[in-house]
Amino acid sequence: MSTPHTLPQPIATAPTDLDAFWDDLDAELAAIPPALELEHLPLHSTDHSDAYRARFTSIGPYRIEAFLSVPHGDGPFPALLLAPGYASVVVPPSYDDRMRYVAMSLRYRGTRGADKPYAAKFPGFLTDGIEDPRAWKIRGMLADALRALEVLVAQPQVDRERVAITGPDTGVIVAARRPGVSALAVTAPLFYRLADLYPRTEAYPFEEINDHLRAFPEAKAGIDRTLSYVDPLHHAARVTCDTLVSVGDPGAVNGPEWLAPFVQSLGGAVEQYAQTHEGQTDYDAVDRWLAQQQGVGPRPRTWQPQDIGPWSATRPATPYEDAWL
Amino acid sequence: MTVRGLAKDHQTSVKRPADFDDFWAAIDRELAATQLDPVMEPVPHRSTEAVEVFEIGYTSLDGVRIAGWYCRPREGWADAPYPGLSIVPGYVSEPTLPKSWAKLGYAAIGVAPRGKLRSNAQFNPGYPGLLVHNIVDRNTYSYRGFYADALRAIDFLLQRPEVDPTRIGVHGSSQGGALTLVSAALRRDVVTCGAAGAPYLAGFMDCAALTHSYPYEEINEYLRLYPEREEAVRATLEYFDCINMASLITCPMLIYVGHADDVVPPETGYDLVKVMPGAVELNAYDRCGHDAGNFWEMANVERFLAKHLRPALANTGLHAQRTEG
Repeated sequence: MSTPHTLPQPIATAPTDLDAFWDDLDAELAAIPPALELEHLPLHSTDHSDAYRARFTSIGPYRIEAFLSVPHGDGPFPALLLAPGYASVVVPPSYDDRMRYVAMSLRYRGTRGADKPYAAKFPGFLTDGIEDPRAWKIRGMLADALRALEVLVAQPQVDRERVAITGPDTGVIVAARRPGVSALAVTAPLFYRLADLYPRTEAYPFEEINDHLRAFPEAKAGIDRTLSYVDPLHHAARVTCDTLVSVGDPGAVNGPEWLAPFVQSLGGAVEQYAQTHEGQTDYDAVDRWLAQQQGVGPRPRTWQPQDIGPWSATRPATPYEDAWL
Repeated sequence: MTVRGLAKDHQTSVKRPADFDDFWAAIDRELAATQLDPVMEPVPHRSTEAVEVFEIGYTSLDGVRIAGWYCRPREGWADAPYPGLSIVPGYVSEPTLPKSWAKLGYAAIGVAPRGKLRSNAQFNPGYPGLLVHNIVDRNTYSYRGFYADALRAIDFLLQRPEVDPTRIGVHGSSQGGALTLVSAALRRDVVTCGAAGAPYLAGFMDCAALTHSYPYEEINEYLRLYPEREEAVRATLEYFDCINMASLITCPMLIYVGHADDVVPPETGYDLVKVMPGAVELNAYDRCGHDAGNFWEMANVERFLAKHLRPALANTGLHAQRTEG
């Protein structure tokens, strides 16, 4: 994300009923049992881990789904929730994560696997109900993320002292609203200062809001108010765990100036990682930080030997060095 | 620890079936016998002062209806005829609205091949799942229709009166890179140039042996359960392998890869280039993963496409949204 416009201070202020909004959502969730079903998935299980389709209920009530992976062995194991992003398809956690963590990737309402009865449109999901914060579909998505963490932490193989979240800034709200998260890696903004951002970009998915305003220009004030409920800026102070924030280039809309109000508001120890834009360098940096926080070994992707199956014409001879498991 | 060899030294294990050309010629005949039945519905709220947006549909192989977005410059923003540009999607991403390309002067289509949202009423193998759907049978394998859907996007552009049929380009990354190669190979009579990032679906089995990352991990998972099907799988995939498509490509091509790509191993990018008979520019980025260096490479992509397709508003300070796989 670039676009080095003049970077203003945040225009979005926290709504006066922010706490009530989220307390009400928590109460809704608390009133609905997750009614968890776990289905073992031999196809997605590996020599190191068992995979499950987890189905459980969130507000609505709405039945959602997640990939859950549990390492082989006695445990307990550290847990990792992959914070939901803006995409119609959610894939299982990476092989490397499945080796080390009880790992979960969430198929929130509207996405594949959780698209009945509500099939989200992409583009379109971001603005579905956006003029009313309580009817906004994103509220349901974030409720689903909160429920996912509850389900993950409740797994008997999980070490509850080591629970991490990684991914876009949806994870900030989860870490802010649920106790027991020990580490948070924020790799990309999604809802942070979105009311400041969307007028300055034509890039999707944020352009969805501009599209909506072309049809309903009178809705701007209501939309900005809705966005303020999910702005991580207003949740950061409640995040007390160790946090890593990936930071873009100076002057960019995810750069240090843009993110400074968020970083300064976080309630726990904060490290900032200056992105290089080399995808694997940046991936490895986050992986290394999370691994250190969680007490496991890093799994750098630049490069490692592979030992996957007997069908490889180019198969290296040496298996994984996985003594740290 | 085994050290992986240099990507440029990799030797592909892909073989070309003797009836490869006949196989695709038969599919092309089926397509030619199928009416395109194009429809275009204006989408005013996603249109801007510079670009008109349409939701489109057309018929592809087996009578499957395919959806997409079509964006063209408004008269007055840029004058017709426009170069046509097919922007093809990645494996898990939904097709982009190529508004930013239309703003540069292209008539651009963003196609949703079968299984993507809005094109999944008749075919929906799921994600993960698409890569291994009917993988032991070349005549019903998922990518038989999927590739055809991308070819039909070119046909859609060609039937538009505002499109210059002598200037047709294709661009995408990851699966979009593969579809770029497929389009350039199987529509070589009309495609002017192609820009393919991190091209997926090239050297399927070599890739599966080199990575645990999805989507290729789907093949590893399948063969862990059904190792006896390896030969049948390999035999099917050779008909769909972009390395076998590449030898048919005669137009200028730009290919870019990340030397640390865990999703699409860079080895097969080099394997592709070795067999391409036309002019190829290959740009490789150390320590980049599946991003394939797009932070830097997008400028090259824009320049390459503009050189060969001559959109009206190239070199005016406007830029396309960065292509993700």
